[in-house]
Amino acid sequence: MVSHARELDDHKLARRLLAPSVILIILVVIAPLVFAFVLSLHEAEPMVGGIEMKPVGFSNYAHFLTKSGLFWPSVRVTIYFTIVSLLIELVLGIAMALVLDADFPGRSFMRAIILIPWALPTVVNARMWEWIFSGSKYGALNGLMKVLRIFPSSHDAVWLGFDVPLGGVPVVGPFLRWLGVTSALNMIIVADTWKVTPLVVLLVLAGLQTIPDSLYEAATVDGAGFFRKLRLITLPLLKPVILVILVLRTMELFRVFDIIYIIMQYSIRVVGILTYEIGMKFLHFGQGAALSFLIALFILGLAVFYVRLFYTDGER
Amino acid sequence: MRWSAAYVIKRIKRIGLLLAVLAIAVWTLAPVAWLGISSITPYNELISDRQTHWLPQNPTLANYRVMFDVSRQTGERFVYALRNSMIIASSVTAVCLVAGTFAAYALARLPVRGKHVAVLGLMSIRMLPTIALVIPFFVITSYIDYAFLNMGWEFHLFDTKLNLVILYTTFILGFVIWIMRGFFLTIPAELEEAARIDGCTRVQALFRVLLPLSAPGLVATGILAFLSAWDEFLLALIFTRSTNAATLPLFIAELGSQYITAYDQISAAGMMAAIPPVLLALLFQRFIVRGLTAGSVKG
Repeated sequence: MVSHARELDDHKLARRLLAPSVILIILVVIAPLVFAFVLSLHEAEPMVGGIEMKPVGFSNYAHFLTKSGLFWPSVRVTIYFTIVSLLIELVLGIAMALVLDADFPGRSFMRAIILIPWALPTVVNARMWEWIFSGSKYGALNGLMKVLRIFPSSHDAVWLGFDVPLGGVPVVGPFLRWLGVTSALNMIIVADTWKVTPLVVLLVLAGLQTIPDSLYEAATVDGAGFFRKLRLITLPLLKPVILVILVLRTMELFRVFDIIYIIMQYSIRVVGILTYEIGMKFLHFGQGAALSFLIALFILGLAVFYVRLFYTDGER
Repeated sequence: MRWSAAYVIKRIKRIGLLLAVLAIAVWTLAPVAWLGISSITPYNELISDRQTHWLPQNPTLANYRVMFDVSRQTGERFVYALRNSMIIASSVTAVCLVAGTFAAYALARLPVRGKHVAVLGLMSIRMLPTIALVIPFFVITSYIDYAFLNMGWEFHLFDTKLNLVILYTTFILGFVIWIMRGFFLTIPAELEEAARIDGCTRVQALFRVLLPLSAPGLVATGILAFLSAWDEFLLALIFTRSTNAATLPLFIAELGSQYITAYDQISAAGMMAAIPPVLLALLFQRFIVRGLTAGSVKG
């Protein structure tokens, strides 16, 4: 039905419509990435009017993977941050979504306010929690602990400190220390989770809408209780949504920078912080670029995994 | 007897649900409420002689007034940061929305060679950590600025709004294309076909049929783009220095110092930085939720 002339026309139109975006993406994404790769193969340090580059092959990569004592601890602490945050976000997010999916007065109000943490700028979120976690008597969390009589009135905890939680417990303590877990890190997980969980709730709520009520009705007739329905109907049917959340969030969490930098500067070295420190503080551009490629590779690996899972038919 | 037991269980369940709702409300609102309270509390009540009371004895708007007092350094930096954030976030949104919508249309409706690869590429760009681009950007920017300096031009990129607008398109454009393509795919192509049979060209059909129908999608995408530009911190941290381009997140991150805990001012500035995104989110709630779910769930 479509004539050959029109087909050509569409090709030309497509090229014109794509041109601005393609040019922009080549200039601001692809070219810098290629350049970053070139940098990663050099020892590149700043000098007047540019940089001094000395080719070193893949030794920047080898440096981190084998020699540097900074890389693997940083990977470990990032993995801890990612997995723990993810678990809390998922469990809390699904639980909150199930509650908000029920019928109660003020449901639309609740669904609106849930957006507030999500909309709060990351920097504001970081400084807000930094203030709540303040170690002295003016910290709100310390105040709350006293109101709840969990702390005696003379005690003030240092929430953003470097104590290893459960540090005295055999096996667990040394393991957490090996991972690089500190009280501050756990508090940052709380702060980040508070901001991000609403997104999980929204996605899960959207997923819940797609589950037909008839399934639940049938299960009720069969005498299934809440947990049975959750295990046999809700969770299996939410699987696609949960997978999306898992993968999207893993990628966001793995590259975390802002909240940790703002609250703790360089003292919790997740891979994002380590890269920034090496590349932009010490200005070792080559090493920094190599490091960011290692992160990008990991995330790209996840992307491929993601695409395999969700992007099954190309022309949908 | 059985009936009443069932009734009791039902009541307990109901109360449990309402308690859970209450807990969610407190968990969601308490931190922001504390930020708001802190912002209207005088410094001495908040920090130096803070007792256990949670509400200010002498509430004040002084912390907000300081932010708009341009004769003081803090006020001057805040007002400029607010302005820079507004300009940068709206420019990025406009650029990405225009370029991205066209590209999204091509990818959704037109024959494009390597479409599959392009879509996968967009996806990967979205997943790139900003830090991976920061170092090449930094080196390229210094090269360009040095070249300009050598040519004797006044122009430079470092510490300009233009530079941030360019850099922000890296993570926003791909995302706009991705979401808009998703929206276009949900609209049946038959509607445009009908318009074309009535004599419209493809471009006319795009403007007269598809774009009006995707207005909610455009609004949602525009807001999400604006919010992510408003939120950005890392690039602003590296590429801006002065009131010329420093954005609100940078201002708030740097407010106070090791020696002064200016949490009264931080709270006030934080509240103001939060107002635009929170208002947008609440006003366009339904669009945004659709945008978020379309952007992540659908391909």
